[in-house]
Amino acid sequence: MSATVDAATGTPLPAVDAGATRNSRSIWRRILAQRPAVIGLTILSFLFAVALFADVLATYNPERSVLGIETRAQGAVARAAPCIHALGCAADRPEHWMGLDGNVIDEFARVVFGARVSLLIGFVTVGVAIVAGLIIGAVAGYAGGWIDNILMRIMDVFLAFPALLLSIVIVTILGAGLVNAMIAVAIVAIPIYARVMRASVLSIREQDYVTAARAMGESAFGILLRRVIPNSLTPMIVQGTLGIGTAVLEVAALSFLGLGAQIPTPEWGQMIGREYNNLQNAPHLIFFPGIALTLTVLGFNLLGDGLRDAFDPRLTR
Amino acid sequence: MIQFIVRRLFTSIPVMLGVVVIVFILVRVIPGDPCTATLGERANAARCAEFNARIGLDQPIPVQLGIYLKDVVTLDLGMSSKFGRPVTEVLLQRLPTTIELTFYALVFAIVVGMGLGIVAASRRNSAADVGAMMLANLGVSIPVFVLGLVMAFFFAVILKGTPFALPGVAAGRLSPGFRFDTIPEAWGIATLDGPLRGILDFLSNMYTINGLLTFQFDLFIDAFRHLILPAIALGTIPMAIIARMTRSSLLEVMGLDYVRTARAKGLRGRIVLFRHGLRNAMLPVVTVIGLSIGGLLSGAVLTETIFGLTGVGITISQAITSRDYAVIQGVALFVALVYVVVNLLTDISYGFLDPRVRPS
Amino acid sequence: MIRPNGRLPRLATLFATLAIVAAACTPAASTAPTGSTATQAPPATSGATGAPVALAYPESGEVTCGTGGSPGSFNDKEYTGNLKSIEAPDDMTVVFTLCNPDVAFLQKVAFAVFGINDSGWIETHAADGSIKDLLNGTGPYKLDEWRKGDSLIYSAFDNYWDKESYPLVPNAVLRWATESGARLQALQGNNTTGITLVGPDDFDIIANDPNLLLAPAPDGQALNTLYVGFNHDIKPWDDANVRKAVALAINRQEIVDNFYPKGSEVATHFTPCAIEFACEGDPWFASGGDAEITEAKALLTAAGFPDGFSTSIQYRNVFRGYLPSPPAVAQNLQEQLADIGITAEVEEQESGTFIGNANAGALDGIFLLGWGADYPEVTNFMDYHFGAGATAAFGAPYPELATPLGEGNSTTDAAARKTAYAEANNALQEVVPMVPIAHGQYANAYLAGTEGAQVSAISTEVMWAMKPPATASDPNTVVLTQGAEPIGLYCADETDGESLRACEQAMEGLYGYEVGGTEVKPALATGCEANEDGTVWTCALREGVTFHDGSTFEAADVVMSFAVQWDIDHPLHKGNTGIFEYWAGLWGGNLNFVPPPPATPAPSPS
Repeated sequence: MSATVDAATGTPLPAVDAGATRNSRSIWRRILAQRPAVIGLTILSFLFAVALFADVLATYNPERSVLGIETRAQGAVARAAPCIHALGCAADRPEHWMGLDGNVIDEFARVVFGARVSLLIGFVTVGVAIVAGLIIGAVAGYAGGWIDNILMRIMDVFLAFPALLLSIVIVTILGAGLVNAMIAVAIVAIPIYARVMRASVLSIREQDYVTAARAMGESAFGILLRRVIPNSLTPMIVQGTLGIGTAVLEVAALSFLGLGAQIPTPEWGQMIGREYNNLQNAPHLIFFPGIALTLTVLGFNLLGDGLRDAFDPRLTR
Repeated sequence: MIQFIVRRLFTSIPVMLGVVVIVFILVRVIPGDPCTATLGERANAARCAEFNARIGLDQPIPVQLGIYLKDVVTLDLGMSSKFGRPVTEVLLQRLPTTIELTFYALVFAIVVGMGLGIVAASRRNSAADVGAMMLANLGVSIPVFVLGLVMAFFFAVILKGTPFALPGVAAGRLSPGFRFDTIPEAWGIATLDGPLRGILDFLSNMYTINGLLTFQFDLFIDAFRHLILPAIALGTIPMAIIARMTRSSLLEVMGLDYVRTARAKGLRGRIVLFRHGLRNAMLPVVTVIGLSIGGLLSGAVLTETIFGLTGVGITISQAITSRDYAVIQGVALFVALVYVVVNLLTDISYGFLDPRVRPS
Repeated sequence: MIRPNGRLPRLATLFATLAIVAAACTPAASTAPTGSTATQAPPATSGATGAPVALAYPESGEVTCGTGGSPGSFNDKEYTGNLKSIEAPDDMTVVFTLCNPDVAFLQKVAFAVFGINDSGWIETHAADGSIKDLLNGTGPYKLDEWRKGDSLIYSAFDNYWDKESYPLVPNAVLRWATESGARLQALQGNNTTGITLVGPDDFDIIANDPNLLLAPAPDGQALNTLYVGFNHDIKPWDDANVRKAVALAINRQEIVDNFYPKGSEVATHFTPCAIEFACEGDPWFASGGDAEITEAKALLTAAGFPDGFSTSIQYRNVFRGYLPSPPAVAQNLQEQLADIGITAEVEEQESGTFIGNANAGALDGIFLLGWGADYPEVTNFMDYHFGAGATAAFGAPYPELATPLGEGNSTTDAAARKTAYAEANNALQEVVPMVPIAHGQYANAYLAGTEGAQVSAISTEVMWAMKPPATASDPNTVVLTQGAEPIGLYCADETDGESLRACEQAMEGLYGYEVGGTEVKPALATGCEANEDGTVWTCALREGVTFHDGSTFEAADVVMSFAVQWDIDHPLHKGNTGIFEYWAGLWGGNLNFVPPPPATPAPSPS
């Protein structure tokens, strides 16, 4: 299987562009020139704002039911439909913009705080996977020979599984929970980053300045650290941005199946997974988190596309 | 060419072996044990001792691994502790559902995906192009389960009672109590035995195939109606990927010299596109199709759960919950095998599509 | 302990009614059983064939009945059962001889587990294991196909002995959906005639929908209990004050009001009051109010936790009649406990792991668990949990409980038992090994206008007595959607309600339950009569009955159907797991039973 295609989005992996990434102002300009990137950035800014100001936006606790402060007579029943005063809901009923979920908790608060959880999931998971993949790929690419062979065979074995199934098995071993789900998804993602890194390293290590450094007696480790890695970062960053969307999706899928975030943590996939059998009677409990998930992933994908196009002048648009 | 295939098969053996051993280990690290998981509250020490002896868990681990490896080679995947039947039987029973589902999802993905990609590439930077690519972007971003549920809501709830309604959440593969004949029954050879019978029974379990082969069109229609939504939900992500891949690949090829030469010679755009452009653009697309299989199997777990289809995906999910080691191992092995085969086929098709890649 | 997987104490409920009746009918020296129709025992040699066929079980050797406190014996092994012999003096008569009178004989015999199989059928299919995949009964429906993972498809049996009455509709389908929301949607989508186990939040939706019909269980029939437990061998639960504090803080009414369907009750005692001796002693103390919370805080301070402490609420997310919404209740508990300063983390465990932990005494937090009766006897509730050989979930047995319980189960004197259980119930409130919370109501739901809409606590909803309304998507097929797929179809060896329900459509026993109720009436027997002291039951069999595969029904079938369950050494004592759980609970013991050596306690899971 060639390493030139990103399995998650079907676009070619970023080509290594050694040394072309120095001028940050021109980078920004190039990014902003891509329309999808702009849209992506807009969506993500909105998402970040929501996450940042969640406490202000949400008037209810996302983890406690409202049964303590409202009564059944006022409409505090499980899966209550949204009550928006501006849209005609009776004024004596407390307002819940997205209704109540199966545990009688305000859905809007859960959706809004879910943004925090999703951003955390995305960045931490990909961060861990990048670091691990970077190390493995760099060592494999630079050392070559049997080290490369063994490392890549191990990566192949992991890649021989569909991502979700492998992460299901890992989470079942570690125990259901958000942290373990993130670990599982990170582990599953490592081979991809390892491959990207290795490809970068393979091409860079033949470059002149590396040969020169070796001739001057720099240690292999030092060369890796100071010369190879900094120049291989770009494709990793691009892949990482695209990968954040995937990570959020995969953890959401695990939570949907009940293996990820547990109550009372608000996570969009978990919210959908608990209520999908009530689609007919409480569609709002599926649509709102669903839209939130889609927007988030879309934002990261668009931004990632834009980054890739900005950094890779080879790709015609 | 044969050498190439044989060599590829050889190199995939260590991978398969690695998969088997890793799955074996992973599965035994899972906390809990099949006895409490299967017997529930009825489990006690005496019953579990008997249960474990029955499924061979009382042996030391290396012995279990040895037995397992030997069995795998003879295609005996053990007994499912949850169902009390051989794993191969459980797998074979549920495989047709997943194959059917994946097949239609893939058909959808390829047809619609390539169609969108071609449209986008041939009308580059036009509204159609932008629209198609936005659709593709959305397709890649929307989670499988959200898409499935949205479609189920629209077709099963909103359109309920109309002729356009489709079965929704947990609807299963057929309408309740739908009676039909299996292929041997319909062809009047119900007394047939042996491997041919097994094959025919397996095919009969793919209801749309059954319906077509036996002219039971009501069966075909009922089964197909139950597959439309899951197939589209499952196939949307690969569809989007294929669309983007087709488009960028075509564009890349269109800019190449020999294409411009063809155009300069006066060949019409469409011929150029199809004869020269597509053929060479297919390479990366085929890669993507191969890579999609993994995503399809993953997504099948979610789609099968939502729409109530008992296939392989939901089986492994249930097997993990009930600590059914044998089934987990069997499915994992099977999935890895599928991957290896798909890889091989992908590489071989490279050889057909691109002479440069063919091994000398 | 027998755990009905179908979450319904079906057997228990029927026996509850029976227990009430039995209490009214003691002393047990009566002859005519309640609900029987035959007024006269038929002569022993009647029968269509005329020629007497002698057949008896045990075939060789004789059971020695136990006396007083010591068990009987058979074949040099200890025998704790009540059944002494089963004989067939001729083709159409079966005689059951018991060691002690059993007022519940007919109800037991009517239970789904004792559906009669053809002896030839058992010989073929028990031997090769296919008996759990097929049904060959005498009932109004015959099983056409078990579409694994999807449904069971039945059609009318043309030679049914009462075919003028049943089935009402020629086709039937039994399907399943594990989520209550999915079952409700199937009903709303007109994809099923009826559903079982309505989710607690859906009661109102169904009640308010003119197209649907709610069928709740009759009042007081909920023989289940939800409790929160503590293991007093683990800190901080070793301090009775801590346990009592938690008990005082829980607002049980709030839980029942918000997370249980209408008709559920707050538990006044550990055992549901419909069971005899269950509610002796004082009702459970008040809890959850302001005064109680203050008292709870004081107790915590006395115990050395003025600012509370941290712990976890452990549960498994499995729908049960005693707990239809586990996560919601867990979360509500978490919030309630915060009021007295206890920070509880909600910990959902996988079902098998959770039960394993419970049985091993490894649950170190507050655990949410419950119980549904296997049979309506106070010992099934109290002794299993608090008696001398109790589950390890609460830690070592409390002597304050084990002693009175031991007294209660070793005597048949009603007055003595009353005193014993009163003492035990009061002791429960002193030592507080757990807090009983609720008895959960349950219901089925149907399309409005369905004839024969039933709810049965013992999973015996029979589709052959149902008829969908004309507005159903297929008025000629009755479809019932239950909570899970049957595990196997050999109901002698199954305990989950889903399997029993599947069997009930096609199998019959000597007696059967009236449609939708718990009264028994003759089925394959035209009448079973007891002798004067109630130890010998003579059953006259119905003539002209055939099985679905064409075999004739006769006495040998009855004897074999019982014998293969009764005798562990019988060559056909085989089924799905081969354990035949219900036999020992109902008849006291098996022939040739050798108890396993005492097991060393399992190491606690990591």
